[in-house]
Amino acid sequence: MDMSNHPLLASMDEPPPFPANYTQLRRLDRSVVCQICKEPFQAPVSIACGHSFCSSCIRSSLDVLKKCPSCNEPASEGSIRRNRALEEITDAWEESRPIIHELAQPPIVRKRPAPESSSKPSSSSNTKRLKPSSREASGSRSQSPTKSRTSNEDHVQLRQEELLDDEEEEDDIQELTENDEAPCPICQATLPISSIPMHIEKGCPPPKAKMNGAKKGNQKADWRKVFSGQGTTGKAKDVEMKRIIKPNYSIASPADLRAILSEYSLPTTGDKAALTSRVQEWIILFNSNLDTSHPSSISALRAKLSDLEASKRRDKEKGKDEMIAQLGQKGGLQKYAKDKRSEFDRLRQEIIERDKRRKDEEEGKGGRENAIEVE
Amino acid sequence: MSGLPKRILKETERLMSDSPPGISAAPKDDNLRHFDVTVAGPESSPYEGGIFKLELFLPEEYPMNPPKVRFLTKIYHPNIDKLGRICLDILKDKWSPALQIRTVLLSIQALLGAPNPDDPLANDVAQNWKENQSAAIEQAREWTRQYAQ
Repeated sequence: MDMSNHPLLASMDEPPPFPANYTQLRRLDRSVVCQICKEPFQAPVSIACGHSFCSSCIRSSLDVLKKCPSCNEPASEGSIRRNRALEEITDAWEESRPIIHELAQPPIVRKRPAPESSSKPSSSSNTKRLKPSSREASGSRSQSPTKSRTSNEDHVQLRQEELLDDEEEEDDIQELTENDEAPCPICQATLPISSIPMHIEKGCPPPKAKMNGAKKGNQKADWRKVFSGQGTTGKAKDVEMKRIIKPNYSIASPADLRAILSEYSLPTTGDKAALTSRVQEWIILFNSNLDTSHPSSISALRAKLSDLEASKRRDKEKGKDEMIAQLGQKGGLQKYAKDKRSEFDRLRQEIIERDKRRKDEEEGKGGRENAIEVE
Repeated sequence: MSGLPKRILKETERLMSDSPPGISAAPKDDNLRHFDVTVAGPESSPYEGGIFKLELFLPEEYPMNPPKVRFLTKIYHPNIDKLGRICLDILKDKWSPALQIRTVLLSIQALLGAPNPDDPLANDVAQNWKENQSAAIEQAREWTRQYAQ
């Protein structure tokens, strides 16, 4: 059956492939494609075994499995290195592709008197793939992050040298008690000595001086703040273009996660699972944005994160729709009731107990009616 | 825009426009993550001449996690159990995001051509396969005639 007109596939806009007899060009076309997303490399990086992927693709993949997707060699995030040559090659190829594609067309076109109509649509869809305008626009909008990043790297190196010096001098250091403050050996933030191990374990979050509690705003308002350009703390702050160190998700508290999110002016709503996945997605987006010479602006990254969350929500809700459709079918409801029987029983039990408690309390103390309002 | 990752759209389009020999796959109208698949039994295997129906589902984490695939047609095979579940390394621990639907389906077709009774999922079938291979193959042929034609 022909499904090429499938309504859900309508959004495809692919650049036309090269004719089958140009195998070299087809090979070239394939060689600038990431094996994970099957798209031309965006912010390409290499890992220890020498295979290259988009930075965000390999970061997401290594979050799930610490192996190279191409050769199964053990791999870790620490081995990720920016591949500048590959980025240049990909960009150059993407730029020349429309021209070469035109040259590679079979000569039949020239016999016809209207060559424009046949060449135009292909070049327009090629520009879509190239997206030079959006790249340049986002590049100029960001506050030259490449520059600040290199200076940050220098900074890190400097710190490491300092660190080595410190270690050599360790012998003649005076004794300190647990309550004294000292700089963290990694990020240099001043903290009480006793809290430094936990601080390092959590990936050096900035010391919380003015954390105004774990406030739960509503998500809509948070996103609105994000888009209007003001952070959750009220003023728009300059985000440091420095790789985010992953927190240890198993020990990080929701407040820790919210602290990371609010540092980048992101919404801090949701339970721990939602916060964790938001932090994870953000770290992938943010860190991979540092691996390219056309980085997106922070606000573009925030918009991307919001899109990602929205599409995940849609996916979930779609599942719900299907379930509702299933319930409507013959026997669907009985089956559902059977499957969820224990759940129903538990809920019924809970309600009975709650009513009983409420009754007891009302009898015991008639004056305190409002205290047991249940939402 | 639909919430579906571009990679899935691209794979789907290629699967339908240029499917590997003996394999067809098309997404359901209402859910593009859910595919109806048919695989033809490979030549000179006991499944030759049979057309096997499968279902394939792409989880939300795809391609970081493998697709879920299951035989819908009854099949006599040491690595496929009576619920249609498939024992294939790339569907489990050997999955890699560089693999795709096409490679998964080709691997399943190859599994039909090369049953591996030493890593069984359907124990009784594997036992039979090891002890009396010709009888097992005859049984597989019989099931193919009965259910897959």
